[in-house]
Amino acid sequence: MVKFSRYILIVIGILVASLAIPQLYWTMFEKVPVTTTVFYSCTLKDFIILGSEKTGPGGRMDPKGNNYTTAEYEKSMPLMFFRQLMADGNMPDSINGVKMEAASINRANSFFRFTPKKMLAPLPTLYPMLESESGKVNLVMPDDYFRIGSRMEFILAKTNMINEEKSVLFTNALKENGFAFPAKIISGIPTTRKSKDEGYFVTDSEESLFHIKMKKGKPYVARIETPENLGIVYIECVDLRTNEFYCYLFTGSNGIYVVMDEVYDLQRLPVEGFDPFTQTVRINCDLFNKCITVGGNYWLKSTAIDDMYEVVNTYEEKWTDKYERIDGKILSSLVPFQMSLSSPESAFINLNFLKSPGYLWIITNLIFTSLAAFILIKKGRKLKNIIIDLFLTALTGVYGCIAIFIFPNKFN
Amino acid sequence: MMIMKSIIYKEWIKIKGTFLAFLVLGLIALTIVFLRVRHDILFVDAANYWYSFLFRGSPYYMLLKYLPAVAGLGIAIAQYFPETVDKRIKLTFHLPVEENEILIMMHAFGAATIISMFLFFFLIFIAGSSLFFPSDIIIPSLISIVPWFLGGVAIYFMVSLILLEPIWLYRGLFAIIGGGFITFFYINASIGGYKPIIVSLLLLTALSSIVVLFTGYRFRKGEM
Repeated sequence: MVKFSRYILIVIGILVASLAIPQLYWTMFEKVPVTTTVFYSCTLKDFIILGSEKTGPGGRMDPKGNNYTTAEYEKSMPLMFFRQLMADGNMPDSINGVKMEAASINRANSFFRFTPKKMLAPLPTLYPMLESESGKVNLVMPDDYFRIGSRMEFILAKTNMINEEKSVLFTNALKENGFAFPAKIISGIPTTRKSKDEGYFVTDSEESLFHIKMKKGKPYVARIETPENLGIVYIECVDLRTNEFYCYLFTGSNGIYVVMDEVYDLQRLPVEGFDPFTQTVRINCDLFNKCITVGGNYWLKSTAIDDMYEVVNTYEEKWTDKYERIDGKILSSLVPFQMSLSSPESAFINLNFLKSPGYLWIITNLIFTSLAAFILIKKGRKLKNIIIDLFLTALTGVYGCIAIFIFPNKFN
Repeated sequence: MMIMKSIIYKEWIKIKGTFLAFLVLGLIALTIVFLRVRHDILFVDAANYWYSFLFRGSPYYMLLKYLPAVAGLGIAIAQYFPETVDKRIKLTFHLPVEENEILIMMHAFGAATIISMFLFFFLIFIAGSSLFFPSDIIIPSLISIVPWFLGGVAIYFMVSLILLEPIWLYRGLFAIIGGGFITFFYINASIGGYKPIIVSLLLLTALSSIVVLFTGYRFRKGEM
């Protein structure tokens, strides 16, 4: 048992070292990462790239390699900088034959950003159901919250009691539409700071999609027809003043859809291979185009589409992988793996294991193992008594070496 | 059996004061937590209060965060520090009982005391929360506070290890590793964010219950 207690300490030591050493290393030596942003210009009919490896931080460039000054950049993005251009008197009267009016430009502009952390997070299971047709200008927060378990239940916050009447009313409305309890995903905009209330988009246990809201105190439920086996993994509702669509849907088959307003048609965006578990997406909408940028670890792919959802242009860029740069190469040759408790992809705490790329660390591990063997044998330890220690060092390199000397073996 | 009774009596004398102090402190903290919930619900309206928990991620129990850690530390010091003064624990090791057995008994008693105190706090927390909130708020809250309590138990195990270590250099090294280990339990996470790691933390804490045997052995063998 005493011997065993030592190995427990060594395992804890290895864990702590494999968390702390890489963290310390990155804090000291990490280079500022590239944060590229891509926009689509309706006047250039091309992309403008900001802050890439080629342009440098603060630089702007188009895919042909032309650089843009601030004034040129603002001029080529008139729908984004219309206020500035109007103030300077540089705003064109019309673009692509459409008359430019501040109100309509403003209404069409929207921005959506998704990172896996939004989905891989502990999400609430209680939501407020706002009244969507109160006849009042302002939206009002209700006194109760709903959950959809074995039925739909409204809980009054003040008393922490279930509002039985309302719960039965909504549960029956869901049942009439063939809802299979419980809900899997519930997505809405649970705030009064939005232009209107559209309730919630909910998937049931059979992954069918529903729209649920409250109209004049009565439930409104719509079952939305979706293609077979869509496998929705994430829904995010948006508050568009154009009323073009209700929400974005991400599916297990790597598709991005929008649910069109009123008609509930599912429109697939022409983007392939988007993995919401590891990749980010940014969608910039304006009067003429939507620019969809999917970002992976060391690459991005932008697709510009027109208002008919047809692709008008695409752009791809890759930059140097963290582990192909000198700072990453040095670390991955020194340590066999890194542990972390939090990760950029998830809001959950977990023991995340990341193996070092390449195989140089094997040599480092062998060096540490030989060093450990040399010191221990010189101290008069017999090989058979140190074999487990050496094995752990061979496996975990510098971490194991640190741990076996902090918790020395004095049992034989 | 006789030995066990005597050991429990001896250990109880050592930790009684500290234990009762933390018991009272914990009860005060819990009272403050729920008095505040009641006050805020009256003042900002229950629906708003729920809203800030659900959508702004502001929990009502932050006061409890480091309480288990301090309690674990305090009880470990109360129990093991006196043993290190003049190396008194050597007397214990000279009793006609297997050496490990005595240390295990001492340690098990200390751990049981802490765990029962924490369980008591935990039950009060659940009872208090269920007065004001539904399970949808209580369960994520429990996921958030369980690691803090496990951390308190782990601190007790780690500090015992450090205190019984006879060499100061190693005390420092153990403190670095122990300190790093304890940070696992106290990361700022969103409410319920600890869910995937809770079982691993429970396992690591359970395993670390016997690490004191390591320094106990070094102490006995006169490692200087």
